[in-house]
Amino acid sequence: MANPTVAPPVEREGWSNFGRAPVWAISVVIAVVVVVFAALFDFWATTFVVGATENAPLVLAAFGFALLYRLTGLLNVAYAETITLGAYFAVWMNNSWGLGFYVVLLPAGLLAGVLSVVTYLAIFRYAKGRRVGTLEMIVISFGLSIFLQHALQFVFGYRRRAFDIPPPNTIEVFGVGVSSFRLLALASVAALTTIVYQFIKRTSYGLQIRALASNEGLAQASGVRPLRVTILIWFVAGVCGGLAGVFYGAGASVESSLGIDEFLLILLVVLVGGIWGLLGVVVVGMATGVALTGITLEYGNSLYAELVLVVAFLGVLKFRGRRLTDASKV
Amino acid sequence: MNLDWLDAFLIFGAFKVVEIMGLGLLVHLQLGLTRVANFGVVGFWGVGLYAFGVAYLKVDWPFGDVYQFLVCAAIATIVAAAAGLVVGWLISDLDDDGTLVGTLGFATIVVILATTQQGLTGGALGLGGLDFPYDFGRVKTHEFTWLLITTAVVALIFAYAWRVYRTPHGRLLIAVGSNEALARSLGKSATAARLRMMMVTSGAMGLLGAMHGVMVRSLEINSLDVSVTLAALAALILGGTARVFGAVVGVLLTVALFDIVIQFYIPIPDGWNTQALPVAREAVFGAAIVLMLIFRPQGLLGQMRRPALMRRLHGDW
Repeated sequence: MANPTVAPPVEREGWSNFGRAPVWAISVVIAVVVVVFAALFDFWATTFVVGATENAPLVLAAFGFALLYRLTGLLNVAYAETITLGAYFAVWMNNSWGLGFYVVLLPAGLLAGVLSVVTYLAIFRYAKGRRVGTLEMIVISFGLSIFLQHALQFVFGYRRRAFDIPPPNTIEVFGVGVSSFRLLALASVAALTTIVYQFIKRTSYGLQIRALASNEGLAQASGVRPLRVTILIWFVAGVCGGLAGVFYGAGASVESSLGIDEFLLILLVVLVGGIWGLLGVVVVGMATGVALTGITLEYGNSLYAELVLVVAFLGVLKFRGRRLTDASKV
Repeated sequence: MNLDWLDAFLIFGAFKVVEIMGLGLLVHLQLGLTRVANFGVVGFWGVGLYAFGVAYLKVDWPFGDVYQFLVCAAIATIVAAAAGLVVGWLISDLDDDGTLVGTLGFATIVVILATTQQGLTGGALGLGGLDFPYDFGRVKTHEFTWLLITTAVVALIFAYAWRVYRTPHGRLLIAVGSNEALARSLGKSATAARLRMMMVTSGAMGLLGAMHGVMVRSLEINSLDVSVTLAALAALILGGTARVFGAVVGVLLTVALFDIVIQFYIPIPDGWNTQALPVAREAVFGAAIVLMLIFRPQGLLGQMRRPALMRRLHGDW
C-alpha cells in the first residue's frame, strides 16, 4: 500500500521548452515588422528606437527576475532592491572616486550580484530551512524589500543622487538620436540573454540548473549540489538586476524607490512573458517597452501608458488564470 | 470641552494608531482567516479617501454637514467595496503570486488615476476643503471628537472580526483559508466566500480612508504610499495574523511606539522627526516582518483560538 504521507514529486517541466522554434520564429517576424515600420514611418521609428533603448533596463531586470522565479519558484519582491543597489553602488563609485560610467558598470553589477546571494543565504535559505510557507516567503521578501529600501537611505543618504558624467554621445538610429549608454543597455540585454541562454543550454552547470528546476529531489539524488547551483542563479539574477539599476539610474537619478517603482511592470512582464520561457520574457519585455513609449508619445503622459499596460497585463492574468503563474514558474 | 492639556500632534498620533488598528483588523480577516495576502491595502483605503473627497467637494449637495458626510462616506464605502469585489474576482482563481500582482496592480492603478485625473482629484497638488461634519468652534475639539468617532468605528470592526469566527460564514472562511480544495470538495463555494469577505473588508477600508480624509481635511497624493499597507501588515504579523487581538497588540508595539512614544516622550535630536525617524520606522517595520515570519510566524499571540464550544467538542489545538 502506498504511503499516504509521502507526496509524489512535483514535475516542473518547462525548461525543456526553453527556446523552442516558435518563440524564435515569432521574434524574427516581429523584428522584421519592426524594421520595416521603422524604415517607413517616423512615429514608429521613434517609438521602436526609443522604446527599445530606453526600456532595455526593464528587459534586463525582468530577465534576471525570471531566472530567479523559474528556478526557485519564489516571487522575491526584494529583487527590486537589487536593482536599487546596483544604481546606488554605481553612483557612489562615480561620485566618490570620480570613476566613469563605463568603469563602474561592471563592478556595480557584480556587487549587486553578491548582495543578492547574501540575501539568499541570510534570509531565504534560512527561512526555507525552517519550512516557511510560500505565502510567508512572499511576505518576507516584501518586508526585506521595505527594510533595504529604507536602510539604504542611512548608508547612501536621503537625497536623490545623480551620476557625474559628461553628456553621452548621440548616435542616430533610423533617424532617431539615441545616447550611447542607452545603446549599451540594449547591447547588454542582447549579450546577457545570449550568454545565459547558451550557458543554460550547453554547459554542465546549465544542465544542473534545468534538473534542479524540474525536480529538486531527483536532481539531488543524481548528484546535483543545489546550494552551489542556487547561489549561481541568485548571483546571475543579481548581476542582471544591478546592471539594470545602473542603466535606470544613469537615465534619470538614483533614489531609494528606484527599484520598487519599476517592480510591478517587471513582475507582470515575467508572469506573462514567462509562459513562453526566458525568451518570451525578453520579447514581452521589449514589446512592453515599445508600448510604453508609443502610448506616452501619443498621449503625452507616461502614467497613462503604465495604466494601460497594467490593466492589459491584469486582464491577461485573469484570462489565463492559475495556469499563467504556474507556467511562468517552471 | 477644555483640551488645553492635550497636544494636537498627540491627537493625530492617536488617530493614526486607531486607523492602522482598523486596517490591521481587516487585514487579519483577509490574511489570517482566508489566507488572501492583500499587498494593496492602500489602494482600497485610497479609493475610499478619494471617492469621499471627490463626492464631498465636487457635488453640490442640497443638505448640510452631517448628511453630506454620511452620504459621501456611504459612497466611499460602496465604491471601495465594489473595488474589492472586482479585485476579489480578479484574484479568485490565482495563487499567492497572482494575488500579489493583482492587489499591487490595483493599488498602482488607484495612484495613477488619482495623479492623472487632476480635474477631479487635484492630481499631484492635492485638493483641500474637506471638513468635519460638525462645528464646536475649536479645531482641537473637532479633531478630538473625530478621534473618538473613528475609535467607535474601529471598535465596530473589532466586534465584527470577533463575531465572525462564531458564524457559519467565518467558519467557512477559516476552512477556505486552511484547505481550499477540501472546502470545495465538501460543496462549499470558496469563491463566493472570498468575494464576500473581500467586499466587506475593502468597503471598511474605504470607510477608514474617508475618515482619514476628514481628519487631514485634504486629498494628498503622498498619502497613497506603501507605508499604509506596511504599517497594517507589520503590526498584524507582529501581533499574530490568526488572532483578532493580533492587530491591536501589533499596532501598539509598532505604530504607537513610533508615532506617539518615540515622537513625544523620547528626547531625540532636532530634525530627526522629519527624516531619520520616518525612515527608521519603515526599516524597523520591514525588519519586524522578516524576523517574525522566520522565527515566530504565528506572531506574539500565537495560533488561532477556537471558540469554547469547538474546544469542548474537539479538544484544544
